[in-house]
Amino acid sequence: MDTPDSKNIDYRQGTVSAVDLHDAVRRETPLHPGERGTVGVSVLVISALILIFGGGHLFSTSNGFNSSIYISSHYVPEPRPSLSGAEETAAKAAWIDQWMSDGKKVYANCIACHQASGLGIAGQFPPLVGSEWVDGGTKRLGAILLHGANGPFKVAGQSYNQLMPAWSTLSDDKIAQVLTYIRREFGSFPEGEDGVVTTEMIKAARDEFSGQAAPYTEAELLAIPADAALSGARVDLQTGEPLP
Amino acid sequence: MTVPQPTPEDLNERAAIDRSARYPVMFFFTSAAAWLLFATVMGFVSSLKLRVPGLWDACPFMGYGRLFPVHFNALVYGWAMQAGIGVMLWLMARLTRSRVQHPVALIVFGHLWNLGVIVAVGSIWFGASRSIPLLDFPAWLWPVLAVSYGCMVVWVIPMFHSRRNTLFYVSELYLIGAAVWFPWIFITANLIINKGTAPVMGAGANAWYISNLIYFWMAPVALAVAYYIIPKISGRAIYSYPLAQASFWLLAVLAGWTGFSRYMGGPFPAWMPAVSGAAAIFILLAIVATVANLMLTLKGCTKLWEYSPSLRFTMLGMLMLALYAVLSAMSSTFVFGKNLQFSHFLVGIDTLAFYGFFSMTMFGAIYFIVPRITGAEWPSGSRIRTHFWFSTYGILTMVVTMLVGGIAQGGNLAQWNQVFSASFVNSSAYVVGRAIAWLLISFSNLLFLTQLGLMFLGKGRKTEGATLLHKEPGEASSAREVVGIQ
Repeated sequence: MDTPDSKNIDYRQGTVSAVDLHDAVRRETPLHPGERGTVGVSVLVISALILIFGGGHLFSTSNGFNSSIYISSHYVPEPRPSLSGAEETAAKAAWIDQWMSDGKKVYANCIACHQASGLGIAGQFPPLVGSEWVDGGTKRLGAILLHGANGPFKVAGQSYNQLMPAWSTLSDDKIAQVLTYIRREFGSFPEGEDGVVTTEMIKAARDEFSGQAAPYTEAELLAIPADAALSGARVDLQTGEPLP
Repeated sequence: MTVPQPTPEDLNERAAIDRSARYPVMFFFTSAAAWLLFATVMGFVSSLKLRVPGLWDACPFMGYGRLFPVHFNALVYGWAMQAGIGVMLWLMARLTRSRVQHPVALIVFGHLWNLGVIVAVGSIWFGASRSIPLLDFPAWLWPVLAVSYGCMVVWVIPMFHSRRNTLFYVSELYLIGAAVWFPWIFITANLIINKGTAPVMGAGANAWYISNLIYFWMAPVALAVAYYIIPKISGRAIYSYPLAQASFWLLAVLAGWTGFSRYMGGPFPAWMPAVSGAAAIFILLAIVATVANLMLTLKGCTKLWEYSPSLRFTMLGMLMLALYAVLSAMSSTFVFGKNLQFSHFLVGIDTLAFYGFFSMTMFGAIYFIVPRITGAEWPSGSRIRTHFWFSTYGILTMVVTMLVGGIAQGGNLAQWNQVFSASFVNSSAYVVGRAIAWLLISFSNLLFLTQLGLMFLGKGRKTEGATLLHKEPGEASSAREVVGIQ
């Protein structure tokens, strides 16, 4: 490999004269100072495009440099495709909330006697809160609402002598709503039940008590068992659909 | 513009500078190449593990969670930074016409750095990783790395200070920039992450660090090389010197703003990723100007690519830089980014930056420098050719499969009703491409390391004439009148 006329030398042998320098050193060209060439239109056009895109990106996504905005309008997550109907209705208001607020409106009819608080007026009008007539099953309540009740009555240990009018002129929906409202708001309901009275139940009650001509007396009502419930399917509180 | 041919005194001075740089620079190059081989083999092993997750199940050292950071940290701190420092020292010595003083001290600090990297990589492998990409090593180690980096790079400052030429060349600008920017980003990122800040900010600082490692350290070093090698080999002046300077300042102004867009949609104020994305787009101005400038410099003598290893590697590196800049700008916008973030795509473009762009340019520089500092020629041109093609095909396989696989994986990740693992299972076919890529690259780097080892041991070719990619320069020699093509 190492020929006598080789111009490549090993630097480890010490300094050498210029003619004996390693070939790589000699063949190297000196570094020119740069020139001042001009770039073509294409480079300028590309630069302009870069500026336009960059500026567009900056000003459309920076949200006015407002540090309290965390999600850029251009980084919106994909809309969630829905998996089932249950998923969708979760987003809506639950059925029971609507049913209760409708019931509260119907309850405006009852405020004069039973009061907005449901406590009644001591000695004159019986309370709904703590009343054994409200706390039990739905059958007695349905009967009172449809045909009214005539005193004397014992409610929560006190005697009341008043006539409660019949409300059968109200629609089935409204009666169902107000009863639901009373039971869930003022009363308690038997375990295993959710306090809801449905339109279907009121329909069944109209049929069942159609033979009653005058308002009920205490004795007639006591003949209905305290925990008897009107017949009808329970419903899903979210959707209002009958449960299977 | 004609430049006076060098006098014998000039040649002797040039040789003396090369001689002074020989031992430290060769130390950096060979240990970097050894790290590179290790890193690329680990790249292959980690990709294999990702494709076949059940492999070596019983061994904690062979889990992907350790293998990948080991590979990545070895690639960046073992190979890339060390090769870059070697190139930086030699280039600065040549440009300022000053010798490398106290080479022994430089080698000692080089050992300190290597020791730091060994401890860093070792502690990650033994499970002490902190899972902060590229800052995985234990917290106490970063000052060691920062100090040893500073001790090595401080050599550049007196060289620059005592420069004897009147021309302040653009490569010097880039080298000084890289030398001082790295400590800034490294210390800042480590302080923010280690000294108690919100974890979200830590993640942001980490993304900022990786992006800046590329644009504030690798790009300047590689561009310094390109602005040196290309005029040297083509025997021409840079087409537009003012444009070269302007692109430096553009890079300097913009690079620091990039990075946060990696976590777009994260709990940062929305303007932070927006600004980062815009900076990544604007930085294309600097990259387009640079690549256009270099191509125009070479216009008419592109035949030289076929023969000169340095020119071929450097130009490929520059094209890869352009590709990286475009892909990173694209993925910084919300349109593409929200489906590409957190996917294989990220591995793809990081590897494109560290291997495709930076390493290729460093190979170009090393093929140029080593014959000059060792006084011998590369043993085999065909091995250099093999190194080039295996590396090129490797990195292209990597980028294409990771880009397509990233789109597939990112698309899966964006589907809220799919389980997380589906995104991996569905894109795991693309990981085969990644494994093959690292296999090709590992083979090419085995050749590179053996060639470099031969040069280190003084076993290079001693006969006259540069080692070219093809034996007969043919047309290339007529395209260019000056003798030096490599």
